[in-house]
Amino acid sequence: MNGDVLLILIVVLPFVGSVLAATFRPNARNSEAWLAGGVALACLILAAIAYPAIVEHGAIRSESEWLPTLGLNFTLRMDGFAWLFSVLVSGFGFLVVLYARYYMSPHDPVPRFFAFLLAFMGAMLGMVISGNLVLLVIFWELTSIFSFLLIGYWHHNAGARDGARMALTITGIGGLGLLVGVLLIGHIVGSYDLDRVLAAGDQIREHDLYVPALILILLGTLTKSAQFPFHFWLPNAMAAPTPVSAYLHSATMVKAGVFLMARLWPVLSGTPEWFWIVGFAGMASLLVGAFFAIFQHDLKGLLAYSTISHLGLITMLLSLGSPLGAVAAIFHMINHATFKASLFMAAGIIDHETGTRDMRRLGGLFRYMPITATLAMVASAAMAGVPLLNGFLSKEMFFAEAIETHAKSVLDTSAPYVAVLASAFAVTYSLRFIHTVFFGPKPTGLERQPHEPPFWMRFPIQFLVLACLVVGTIPALTVGPFLHTAVISVLGPNTPFYSLAVWHGFTLPLLMSAVALVAGVVLYLLLNGYLNRSEAGPPFIRRLQAQRIFERVLVVLSWKWARSIEARLGTRRLQPQLRLLVVAAFIAALLPISLDDLSLTSLRISEIDAVFVLIWVSGICCAVSAAYQAKYHRLAALILLGGAGLSTCITFAWFSAPDLALTQLLVEIVTTVLLLLGLRWLPKRIEEEGPKTVSLGTRFRRVRDFGIAVAAGGGVGVLAFVAMTSPVPLETVASYYLEKAYVEGGGKNVVNVILVDFRGFDTLGEVSVLAVVALTVFALLRRFRPAADSIAVPDQQRMQNDFDEAEPDRKVGDTIADYLLVPAVIMQWAFPVIIVLATYLFLRGHDLPGGGFVAGIAMAAAFILQYMAAGTRWVEERLRILPVSWIGLGLLLAALTGMGAWLFGYPFLTTYSQYVELPTVGATPLATALLFDLGVLGIVVGATVLMLIALAHQSTRGLRSARVATEAEQEEA
Amino acid sequence: MAGESAKAVDVAGAMITGPVPAVDWLIVAPVLIPLVFGALLLMFRHEMRWHGIVALIGLAALVGADAALLSRVLEHGPLSMTMGSWLPPFGISFTADALGATFALTAGIVAFVCAIFALRDIDVSGRRYGFYPFLMLMMTGVSGAFLTGDIFNLYVWFEVFVISSFGLLVLGSERAQIDGATKYAILNLVGTTLFLIATAYLYGTFGTLNMADIARKAQTISEAAPLMTLATLYLLAFGMKAAAFPVNFWLPASYHTPRIVAAALFGGLLTKIGIYALLRTLVMLFPVERAILADLIGWVAVATMILGVLGALAQSDTRRVFGFLVISGVGVMMAGLALGTETGLSGTIFYAAHSMLIMTALYLLAGVMKEMGGSFSLHELSGLYRASPLLTGIALLLALAIAGLPPASGLWPKVLLVKAAVDANAWWLAGAILLTGFLTTIAMGRIFLFAFWRDAPAKGVAKVFDPATAARPVVGQGVLVVLTVPIVLLGVFPEPVIRVANMAAAGLLHSSAYINAVFPAGGG
Repeated sequence: MNGDVLLILIVVLPFVGSVLAATFRPNARNSEAWLAGGVALACLILAAIAYPAIVEHGAIRSESEWLPTLGLNFTLRMDGFAWLFSVLVSGFGFLVVLYARYYMSPHDPVPRFFAFLLAFMGAMLGMVISGNLVLLVIFWELTSIFSFLLIGYWHHNAGARDGARMALTITGIGGLGLLVGVLLIGHIVGSYDLDRVLAAGDQIREHDLYVPALILILLGTLTKSAQFPFHFWLPNAMAAPTPVSAYLHSATMVKAGVFLMARLWPVLSGTPEWFWIVGFAGMASLLVGAFFAIFQHDLKGLLAYSTISHLGLITMLLSLGSPLGAVAAIFHMINHATFKASLFMAAGIIDHETGTRDMRRLGGLFRYMPITATLAMVASAAMAGVPLLNGFLSKEMFFAEAIETHAKSVLDTSAPYVAVLASAFAVTYSLRFIHTVFFGPKPTGLERQPHEPPFWMRFPIQFLVLACLVVGTIPALTVGPFLHTAVISVLGPNTPFYSLAVWHGFTLPLLMSAVALVAGVVLYLLLNGYLNRSEAGPPFIRRLQAQRIFERVLVVLSWKWARSIEARLGTRRLQPQLRLLVVAAFIAALLPISLDDLSLTSLRISEIDAVFVLIWVSGICCAVSAAYQAKYHRLAALILLGGAGLSTCITFAWFSAPDLALTQLLVEIVTTVLLLLGLRWLPKRIEEEGPKTVSLGTRFRRVRDFGIAVAAGGGVGVLAFVAMTSPVPLETVASYYLEKAYVEGGGKNVVNVILVDFRGFDTLGEVSVLAVVALTVFALLRRFRPAADSIAVPDQQRMQNDFDEAEPDRKVGDTIADYLLVPAVIMQWAFPVIIVLATYLFLRGHDLPGGGFVAGIAMAAAFILQYMAAGTRWVEERLRILPVSWIGLGLLLAALTGMGAWLFGYPFLTTYSQYVELPTVGATPLATALLFDLGVLGIVVGATVLMLIALAHQSTRGLRSARVATEAEQEEA
Repeated sequence: MAGESAKAVDVAGAMITGPVPAVDWLIVAPVLIPLVFGALLLMFRHEMRWHGIVALIGLAALVGADAALLSRVLEHGPLSMTMGSWLPPFGISFTADALGATFALTAGIVAFVCAIFALRDIDVSGRRYGFYPFLMLMMTGVSGAFLTGDIFNLYVWFEVFVISSFGLLVLGSERAQIDGATKYAILNLVGTTLFLIATAYLYGTFGTLNMADIARKAQTISEAAPLMTLATLYLLAFGMKAAAFPVNFWLPASYHTPRIVAAALFGGLLTKIGIYALLRTLVMLFPVERAILADLIGWVAVATMILGVLGALAQSDTRRVFGFLVISGVGVMMAGLALGTETGLSGTIFYAAHSMLIMTALYLLAGVMKEMGGSFSLHELSGLYRASPLLTGIALLLALAIAGLPPASGLWPKVLLVKAAVDANAWWLAGAILLTGFLTTIAMGRIFLFAFWRDAPAKGVAKVFDPATAARPVVGQGVLVVLTVPIVLLGVFPEPVIRVANMAAAGLLHSSAYINAVFPAGGG
């Protein structure tokens, strides 16, 4: 088979299987197992097929284009080392699937389980055969995610949820670190391709960024392999179903860290930094893991700590930087996977058969399940490093390396002692595992009689234990060649001579093994009594657990700090936010200005017109007073605001912009009326009772806010002043507009031509804004219910109504009608006049002040007058305008007019203008802009009337609710 | 006024004399389509049965136009059309480059998907008060903002979408909504006013509003010109729109109040327009000033992302969690702006497109979770895994996407940004981006654990939900699937987007193509 296809198949098959597996029925254990087992076996066979090519060529590659812009290809690359891991992953996958078929209960939803398991297998295979570091990191992260999902498989169990989260958090940090580390490597080497990186060892080690890259990559590998001080997630991950523990958390995923360290060993190792960090982590894990393992009561807990310890051993071997150490490390990876997975499976069987994993409750199981017990004993012996088993061989190599001096330091000197001590601990916990579970008194209080598991459930253990034995006795004939292929692919020409013989004569390592064995047994005998009575965890430092520290940190960070920061910096109140915004604006504008830049000197007193200044002074006074009064006298503030608006209006007129002046004036009028209508429904201001005392804090706040307001307002003024007085840029579009308005815009009124032609699109947008505002007001007010204190009829109205009611010949409302009789008649009669005026304004807009916007406002004013004259009900009964439809129609008309140019092949909003001779009227300008203006008119009228209706309608509703309220009171009375 | 003498003016120098190809209309189509459909919906306000369908047709047309525009831009480079046949800079130019067209397309897709979701989420009263017209007009503003080549016109479109979003925000008139809407409206109006002030100042300085013209003149303008003030003012105005620290408190105060579709639209689209405007002004118009401000922007970015994600950790309402995640995403995008390199900007652009999709999806997810689980509160939610494995799968993928983990879309922009930060030796930025991703994982993990994995709420909280009888919103879940597919596809095959993002970034940094599109002669 082609190498390309083969490698891609190995990665893709498990994911395809995963998707398939997810679709099965919830209790389809058999078909799931067939599927998953088949996939695993297929991957194994594919790997086997690839072996000859790897031996021959060193590696097979498959490269397909993926992200050329980032220089990333989807490169798969299988050399001896990757091959070894592929076989481990797929082979153990097969065994675990077989085991899980019997382990999972019929009530568990198995499709999910097998789907995750297969997806994990795919991710893991992808990780080991990635030929590209970024790809490797992606698969790496995927293994973390599927590990999270598998640990949390029994999600109803709080322990499983917490364990899953902790595993994800810790390996997540590591993954992020690894990502940056890899990006750094890419930055140094200029490529993420593994082959190129492996060839650039010297370049990397000599680079300034070597240390940060190393630390970040080690963060990834040490967290993944559960090395001290990140080891604590692994014991918590034991809440996962046992097949998961056997597969992910002993045989494969936790090996990913040491795998990557071995993979990058030729590039990264051999420096003091590497030696110290990796060596320390390894040695600490080796010792701490072994020590903690002794004091666990949970079978799986013991195995988890033991895993940490053994991974520590591998890490330590890698830290040494000697090729022989690397060989031993790789060898131990295989051996550990073999015996530890079988022990996990045995623990699972015990759990399955007895219903507990607590060693204090277990005992004497040998008589119930002799075969399982025997297998577990052999595997434990391998874990303890008893001769003639595979664990012994790699441990001997480890001892031999520990004795050697690599870099003279405390770490190096203490290595042999630590090694022996940890080995002794290993003997102790292995012994404890066997002794407490299989020997001694019968277990008490079990729910059922334990017995041997089904044959196929035990088969994976038998197979693995056999492997332990065979490798342990005839290593050179069995694992030898494969190990050699793997070692060569990592070490290349540096591959040292090593011997896999069982017997090397009476050497120092053998002596150390013997010492460890004896010491371990003695230690167990001493501790046995204590262990059965004690709580879980080692004495004295039981409370000092990294896991607790981690959780505390997490809570402090994610809850306490987060909340207090939010409380301190975040505010849900409007005023502080506004203050912040204004201050920020002030600083932003001020910061870059050095005072020299301000050309204030350009102003000469002689140029100032006193009248104009007076207008502005009064305008400013109005604005400031409006702000001052806004809180206490809304009405006054509103009127003052009108004053400020008027001075703007006069300014426009002053500078020969009658158009703008007219528009501004009408807008001022209409908005003031609308605001006045709205003012009626605002809740009353709560009057403070008693003498007003202003606290110092309030006083300070007010002064500060006043200062901010003055500074920001003044700042904007200065900015505007500078902008307007500084020399005009050479060519501005304004001069052009003046030139072109008539010639090409077809109109003499430049402002109007700018609005509907040059910048017609802006106008279209702005009228859309107006339309939306009206709709929003409408939507808001339709559901609005006035505050209780503003429902009551105003005093004047009440008195008038009382008077009407008191007089026999008068109806309620007569007085108001009488009052307003004359103005009402005038206002009603003014309606047609204003409409005519509006039409006039509209038509002449092209050449003289006017236009659709002004005409619309004028028309709207006519309606406002009707409301004022005759009251809401009278008008609403007679109103023929459907404001929302007018808005819609106006928008449509304006847009379609612009789009008409399409038919003639011109850009949007291109106008066409011509004078038309109309009878009696004379020459009338007829530009398509007029249609556009008509749309504007529709929108303005529709929007204003809509707001008017919405506001005015409150009064009828208010009266109604007031009446209901008084009636209810009367009934109660 | 202009008189007879002006007739001598060479018309060819002022106006387009020949017809423009009809295909150029693609440039304005994304504005006109939603505008016309919005107007139609207003005219037939009472035919509420048809609103949803009409809006969907309109938005489908919008997506089609956006897609066609993008493909044309990718093929031919930036395209420009100046309204009214005027020659730039006198008329308003619409100029579509890779950046604007990409954002417009993504926004169109988001709006379309939300409109489908709204078919079930928006009730009769929501339709009566104009949900769909508001949506269409908001999209008019959004598309306009992404495509316009005129800075005052940009202001106009800002107003259009801000006001429309305000309409969407108050739909329902609940007390909390009014409260949130008040803050939203006032602060946003102040922000928009700042934008206006800055633009007036800019006009006073350059005498033109056409962005290509400004970009051209900024290279040659005298040293005394107050470009620095302009740049900082724009930074603040758009930073506020984008919800950058410290002017971002309006967002968490308001985004959790409206109907969930509206929140999804806001979370997806609005902050990204701020980012877009920042890119357009600071990178294209004021590159020198951006470089001076780079450190400041960088620290703002770091504060925004870290405080944003810490805020997310402190919340127990899913919508508020997502609101803060929107903010932290803004910080991540600003990191690219601070770096200013092609890779960094490309990361920002990719992140923005990703963020539009993911934030919309997350808010919609919160809506579906509420519909099924009966609550937005993490104290009360539970058992959703049992109720819907499909929703759980979606939630997981979305969580991975927002945290920037494979196999979802969030990974690549993060890779680009970190790579850019590493290349620029900006350790603190790279670290902050990764820390943010990490804390996001924790925040999302909490939601996943509580709402999905946990079988019953914490002690003392009444169970509001029974997995066996829970509602299974078909439309909601369907829409989420539709959104999740591209999110995962972008994660697995990011190459096309990275290529487009690179192109867009290059277009910003080397604005000559943009200028040439507006001023074909190269002079003018």
